[in-house]
Amino acid sequence: MLAIKNLTASVDGKEILRGLDLQVKAGEVHAIMGPNGSGKSTLAHILAGRDGYSVTGGEVRYLGEDLLQLEVEERAQQGVFLAMQYPVELPGVNNMSFLRESINAIRRARGEAEIDTLSFMKQVKEKARQVKLDEKLLKRSVNAGFSGGEKKRNEILQMAMLEPKLAILDETDSGLDIDALRTVADGVNRLRTTERGMIVVTHYQRLLDYIQPDKVHVLANGRIVRSGGKDLALELEARGYGWLLEEVAA
Amino acid sequence: MTPSLSDYKIGTLQGIETLPMNSGDWMVDRRLAALERFEALGFPNRHSEAWRYTSVEGLLKQGFIAPAKTSQSDQGDGIQNHLSQLATVGRLVFVDGQFIEEHSEYPSGGVRVSSLKAAMATGDRQVLQAVGSLSGLGEDGFAALNLAGFHDGAVIQVAQDVRLDGPLEILHLSSSRAEGRKLPTRHLILMERGSQAELIERFVSEDQQSCYFNHQVVEISLAEQASLSHKRIQMESRQAYHLSDLHIALQSKAAYHGVMAAIGGCWSRTFISNRFQQPDAHCELDGLYLVDDGQLADFHLDVDHQVASCSSRENFKGLLRGSGRAVFDGLIQVGKGAQKSEAHLHNANLMLSRQAEVDTKPQLMILADDVVCSHGTSVGQLDDQAIFYLRSRGLDEQRARALLCQGFLADIVDKFEHQALIELLNRRMNFVGSTEQETSHESLG
Repeated sequence: MLAIKNLTASVDGKEILRGLDLQVKAGEVHAIMGPNGSGKSTLAHILAGRDGYSVTGGEVRYLGEDLLQLEVEERAQQGVFLAMQYPVELPGVNNMSFLRESINAIRRARGEAEIDTLSFMKQVKEKARQVKLDEKLLKRSVNAGFSGGEKKRNEILQMAMLEPKLAILDETDSGLDIDALRTVADGVNRLRTTERGMIVVTHYQRLLDYIQPDKVHVLANGRIVRSGGKDLALELEARGYGWLLEEVAA
Repeated sequence: MTPSLSDYKIGTLQGIETLPMNSGDWMVDRRLAALERFEALGFPNRHSEAWRYTSVEGLLKQGFIAPAKTSQSDQGDGIQNHLSQLATVGRLVFVDGQFIEEHSEYPSGGVRVSSLKAAMATGDRQVLQAVGSLSGLGEDGFAALNLAGFHDGAVIQVAQDVRLDGPLEILHLSSSRAEGRKLPTRHLILMERGSQAELIERFVSEDQQSCYFNHQVVEISLAEQASLSHKRIQMESRQAYHLSDLHIALQSKAAYHGVMAAIGGCWSRTFISNRFQQPDAHCELDGLYLVDDGQLADFHLDVDHQVASCSSRENFKGLLRGSGRAVFDGLIQVGKGAQKSEAHLHNANLMLSRQAEVDTKPQLMILADDVVCSHGTSVGQLDDQAIFYLRSRGLDEQRARALLCQGFLADIVDKFEHQALIELLNRRMNFVGSTEQETSHESLG
């Protein structure tokens, strides 16, 4: 589904990604871990198409296409979803209308009919309940005045409604208490299917207690320096990143 | 060539005998006095603080002349297209500044609605005395010129304790026959004790090319415990000039809520003067302006707290695109005796281009010590992160920008309350957010 080959990228002339390789197949959940500043969020942003990054080499194929050639909205329309670390507040933009407009923009781009009001309302209510997002927040402006936890639940709600093919979660666990973490993880687990690929970017192992990844990668200095199973995450939790970075350097 | 002051004087004098007046010479005298005052004042220039950021040169160069006398049957072939679907209880239609009775609807019971011309023709003393009593002759020449030369307008008088159960509407439609003309009108709104009403005013044009000058003075008097919700949408032709002076006087426990939108015209200025005459009155003013290439929108507020325990709140927001320009000058004065006053003033601007320009000047002048007052102003741009966020959810960039513009103005737009008006404004914002050229003007229906 996603094949990243030898990707290099820089921000303001500073090289952040230095030859990154990653393969995600449909149905797999990949965790990307790593110390601060290792390039985790840069990777997530580049996949979603955010400005401010120059890709200097390598390629990203998504469902056989050159992902980097697509506009931000085209990526979304073709099934890429980024749950953001810092969801943006949009005062005056109604949460529910936005969600519906988003679904319809994606449907239109795929040549599908717009969602009918009744099934939209049913779905949004059911899914808001699943991620324990207060229904009142659906009627408010997107993320405006939401708590950190509410913003993350809202991201997961969007993800559930938009049903992406490739979901990227950028530090979705940051700033969450244990209950919120569990709810968010449940939301993610509910979306695990054999067709959907997921990349979970996280600094801590904690989230991986609830979302069991198929593969764990350690990103350091702009490269994947080690890949393994869930055990790798536990080892990092126990020993930190230092030993691994030393081993890689040696 | 720009006409001189005496050209204006002669132009106004020539028509004066055809203007509405009562049987005596009383109104003629007042018109002549106003003309003298105009002659003394002249037109404002940029040395005057109130006109520092807004030039009248372009307006004067046009040399607008008085409207042609036309019969009603000549007019308003297009009126039907502009009548709203609002569930109004009464409607007054003016085409090129002239009252069109056949398209107007008079409300029933407890409210008197007529053209000012008709009210003056019957020698209605209350109306005659009220005309000009709140506006005075003004400081900038325009108000005096309006009093000297106005042709018609509306009189709305809501009787004591009458509460209208739907809005009244005044539609100002300009046709292509307005080209080169000035259209001076005056409204008189008298809200008697305990009365309650909603008034919707719309300024629309049959086309976007006509160049005319809509010049309006509105006098609004609210007696004790009266309340008026006043919504105004200015969507003149893109080549038109628009000047409105609103004078509002409130007695004890009266409430005025004005919601304004300035969207059309190449040059528009709205001056709102709010006088609290007795304690415990309340005034709210909300406004939005959208300007694009070659457009100027100017709002001047003068909220005067000279008596105790009154409150006012003003919130104006602007969206500026292309080489659009805006001026916001909000003055709140709190006099020595106006203890327990509350006044809040806010102006925010969203700049969609580097060429757009805004001059914003909120001012508080406070002489009393026991008051709660605040003011704030901001000038910003669309947030790239917000655009990215919306695009990452499948919306294209144009729609993302439009949605953010709508969001920015949403609190003001919502104050227009009626779905038809809200949709009209949102459609216009959709356009402003986009990068396409304007193809047609919006109509409501």
